[in-house]
Amino acid sequence: MAGGGSFAPPALCRKPREAAISHSPSAIVTHSSSSPAPAVSFVNVSRHFGEVKAVDGVSLDINDGEFFSLLGPSGSGKTTCLRLVAGFEQPTAGSIQLHGEEVANLPPYERDVNTVFQDYALFPHMTVGENVAYGLMIKKVPKPERDKRLGEMLELVRLPGLAGRRPSQLSGGQRQRVALARALINHPRVLLLDEPLGALDLKLRQQMQIELKAIQRQVRITFVFVTHDQEEALTMSDRLAVFNLGKIEQIGSPAEVYEHPATAFVAGFVGVSNLIRGEIAQAITGSAQTFSIRPEKIQLRDLGQPVSGDEYSVEGRIRDVIYLGMHTRYLVELSGGSDLTVVEQNLRTTSMDVLAARGRAVRLVWQKAHVRPVGN
Amino acid sequence: MNTKLISKYFGGLALASILLAACGGAATPAPAGGPVQSVGTGEGEVSIVAWAGYIERGETDPNYDWVTQFEKDSGCKVTVKTAATSDEMVALMNEGGFDLVTASGDASNRLISGGKMQEINTSLIPSWSKVDPRLQDAPWHTVGGKHYGTPYQWGANVLMYNADVFGNTPPDSWNVVFEETTLPDGESNTGRVQAYDGPIYVADAALYLKAHNPELGIKDPYALTRDQFNASLDLLRQQRALVGRYWHDAFIQMDDFTNEGVAASSSWPFQVNFLQFSGVPVASVVPSEGATGWADTTMMAIDSKHPNCAYKWMEWSLNPKLQGDLAAWFGSVPAVLDACTGNELLTDAGCDTNGLGSFDKISFWKTPTTDCGDGRMECVPYHEWVTNYIAVIGGR
Amino acid sequence: MATSSPTRKSLWHRLSTFFYLRPGLTLAAMLAAPLLWLGVVYVGSLFALLLQSFFRLDDFTGQVVRRFTLYTYSQLFTAANIDIMIRTSGMAAAVTLACALVAFPVAYYMARHAEGRAKAALYLAVLLPLWSSYLVRVYAWKLILAKEGIVSWFISQLRLDWALDRILQLPVIGGPSLSVSMLGMWLVFVYVWLPYMILPIQAALERVPQSLIDASGDLGARPAETFRKVILPLAFPGVVAGSIFTFSLTLGDFIIPGTIGNSSYFLGQAVLSHQGTAGNVPMAAALTAVPMVIMAVYLIIAKKLGAFEAL
Repeated sequence: MAGGGSFAPPALCRKPREAAISHSPSAIVTHSSSSPAPAVSFVNVSRHFGEVKAVDGVSLDINDGEFFSLLGPSGSGKTTCLRLVAGFEQPTAGSIQLHGEEVANLPPYERDVNTVFQDYALFPHMTVGENVAYGLMIKKVPKPERDKRLGEMLELVRLPGLAGRRPSQLSGGQRQRVALARALINHPRVLLLDEPLGALDLKLRQQMQIELKAIQRQVRITFVFVTHDQEEALTMSDRLAVFNLGKIEQIGSPAEVYEHPATAFVAGFVGVSNLIRGEIAQAITGSAQTFSIRPEKIQLRDLGQPVSGDEYSVEGRIRDVIYLGMHTRYLVELSGGSDLTVVEQNLRTTSMDVLAARGRAVRLVWQKAHVRPVGN
Repeated sequence: MNTKLISKYFGGLALASILLAACGGAATPAPAGGPVQSVGTGEGEVSIVAWAGYIERGETDPNYDWVTQFEKDSGCKVTVKTAATSDEMVALMNEGGFDLVTASGDASNRLISGGKMQEINTSLIPSWSKVDPRLQDAPWHTVGGKHYGTPYQWGANVLMYNADVFGNTPPDSWNVVFEETTLPDGESNTGRVQAYDGPIYVADAALYLKAHNPELGIKDPYALTRDQFNASLDLLRQQRALVGRYWHDAFIQMDDFTNEGVAASSSWPFQVNFLQFSGVPVASVVPSEGATGWADTTMMAIDSKHPNCAYKWMEWSLNPKLQGDLAAWFGSVPAVLDACTGNELLTDAGCDTNGLGSFDKISFWKTPTTDCGDGRMECVPYHEWVTNYIAVIGGR
Repeated sequence: MATSSPTRKSLWHRLSTFFYLRPGLTLAAMLAAPLLWLGVVYVGSLFALLLQSFFRLDDFTGQVVRRFTLYTYSQLFTAANIDIMIRTSGMAAAVTLACALVAFPVAYYMARHAEGRAKAALYLAVLLPLWSSYLVRVYAWKLILAKEGIVSWFISQLRLDWALDRILQLPVIGGPSLSVSMLGMWLVFVYVWLPYMILPIQAALERVPQSLIDASGDLGARPAETFRKVILPLAFPGVVAGSIFTFSLTLGDFIIPGTIGNSSYFLGQAVLSHQGTAGNVPMAAALTAVPMVIMAVYLIIAKKLGAFEAL
């Protein structure tokens, strides 16, 4: 059960950022006027398990045809939100609408949504074909029609010829595709995906990310995608919502969320950020307002190199060097005592060069435009 | 009172003993010499294979103890191995290592003919003269004039009936359990009578036919020709329609008389005593046709390691106090008639209640074989009694 | 952890290492005793028993003739014995069916709804009867079902005696009273073996992931359809496991048919009679082979139905 158990009640009463929720300025998908209502709409939805507030006053609109991700650490309430859409959970309070229709008290089998489960949830006693065609069988679609659509679906997920196998005879990636085909065969208006790639290895996961995206463009169905992997969310989503402690911290396009994190949590969770606060912030910017700066935005320069007017700079000493092949991560100790992370592409340097940098005093420089003030 | 009746439940154990017996060593040949000529001092112990409840040392009820005193007097420590069925007794004795066995009439002859028992020198047993003379030469322990044991106890399969149902016209015939009839309370006996579910009950039917169908020529209900046997089975099939449930467990039968409205059945004095003691209005009779019954004998193994103690026990087993106490405990009749008077536990009426007066009307149990006992070898053997009686109870 | 000094290690230490490096030997040492038990005591005695069934009883002497023959098996198929086999398997089948029907809802509740204390209490309630003597429980049922017992009393209080009488007048299952009828015996069998059905079904249901049930509903199946298409097929191995218990336990029981019912023989009683009093060990052994064959057929059918695929 998502959201339960390890979830801790919020210590601070955070209010969702008005700005973050109310506008979604750069939604990539423009939807037709024939479907004015959002595909999924949450209005002040809460789901409490006893004392635990798994979902706590979430409001959210997902547009028709969008690839929308719910991103957050485990226990942040994202999976519970998904289960609320599917109908496996009923909200404690609030309204849930699918295409303008109130569904809060509809059972799953009366909702036009389908789910790809984290563990795939393939029926072990059925063949792949029976699994995929299950929804059609339940709807009493005639056998020839069923077989035709089954064939199409297996084609779509690139598993033709495996209809006779048992799920136990398939690899993880293949099971994943079967689960996807099974959920798509009913042509739902919204497809829910609960960390579907979590069990796959890195290579396969990246391949499936591309495929999923391609399939979504092909079938033009709203995808609601739950993940804790920020890279995955950034890669695939049209928009995403960042969850923390049962609430939404920020909603926006990947670029917005990455470039303009609304809160310190978002800045830290989406990508890597250096958070600079207090006296050091004062020393750099002249204001004690906490700000974030992405490691890849920081340049390493030798001491004494010039700094232009639209740049901030601070001096430090390279405490550690982590060589990562494509790039190198430097941990730089500032004179105030805190560390900053800097990432540089290994354009010309070799591993020998970068490792020799350890202990060197350096100047860190970044564009003022890349600094994001964040809430505390 | 765990009698052999109850312990039939545990007969499954006997299967194991049969297997063991099948693998057991060969019998040691009988010694050429005759019986023991004198009894010396005890060897310190004696082991007895017995029915449950036959050798009591006061552990169930302190009033019933006939072992402690013997051990004190003789210095022979008694160990008892209880057996559930006659077959188990035979198997145990074949295994060896025991001195004595309280064998019933069906086991005793098998043991004697198997060469497992030794002749008893009755002159070494002073109380032999006190044994009911009708038992002294009984064929189940006397072969070719030789005695192979001392009689222990006997009992009859009486007709028990509900006194309220029969009122002042008590039954005097087994016909109330064999023929459909209206009982004195005005209702049919259908569904209100019982019969024993052991195949030996065929003999009860034969005994009834012996009296009522003399043209069949039945002499011994345990030696039946094919025609006599088939006639008995027909009678039993007729009885099947009357019997709700057959009994094999004394406590179940007592419960059926108490809670199921059973009016009449063949039974043992034990159940009669017990039910009367519990206030259930039952009485018993040995009907005019007579009854079947059983008689047990204390017999001595041919390879007994403790013959002196064994002789001391056989002598002790015949003392009136033990005989009377045991008869009261087991619902049986003592082999020593002196036990019938002056025994506190049995009371003076006890022997009559348990069937003493009916001795002549009782056909004692023995294993049917092809040997008809009169030179003919065409009688129906016991294993056919089993298969056929099972079929009758099953409605065939 | 390797110590640098190669000095003497304790015997225990060396023994542990010896066995650690030889997993085959460890396994052999561990299994020797149970295998010996299984092979010699269990299979051995079974073999000795079956061997007996190929001997025969000599009609004349009443002795077992130790020479190979199929005579005893040919004697097995008399009308009376076939009656016994049909009666016993029929009862076993009826008991199994009833146990499955009663056990399933209980097991379902235990596996999918009850939590914490309620679950522990249910476990206790299911297992508690097994802690008391089987004989005592059967005797107790005899009293409960007796003509003057509590069930009859209760039914007469409800003024339904006519219905009970009507049922007891039915052929085969009826009799003078519940306690003297096949119907009563069936009730007692169902009661006595029910825990053996509940527990395997409960275990099987517990192994069905919630996500499968969610998935079925998600794909449009109503709860009844989900039950039929997903839960039941997945719990079926548990039902089969339970039915193996109830079926074989009923096949072999000789105490209930001897206490409740109309005294018609069941297989166990027939074995006891032939062996216990008649000394016809070959026939008893042959009769023992009957439930073995019935169970073998049963297991083959169960396997064909795919009951063991999820084991």
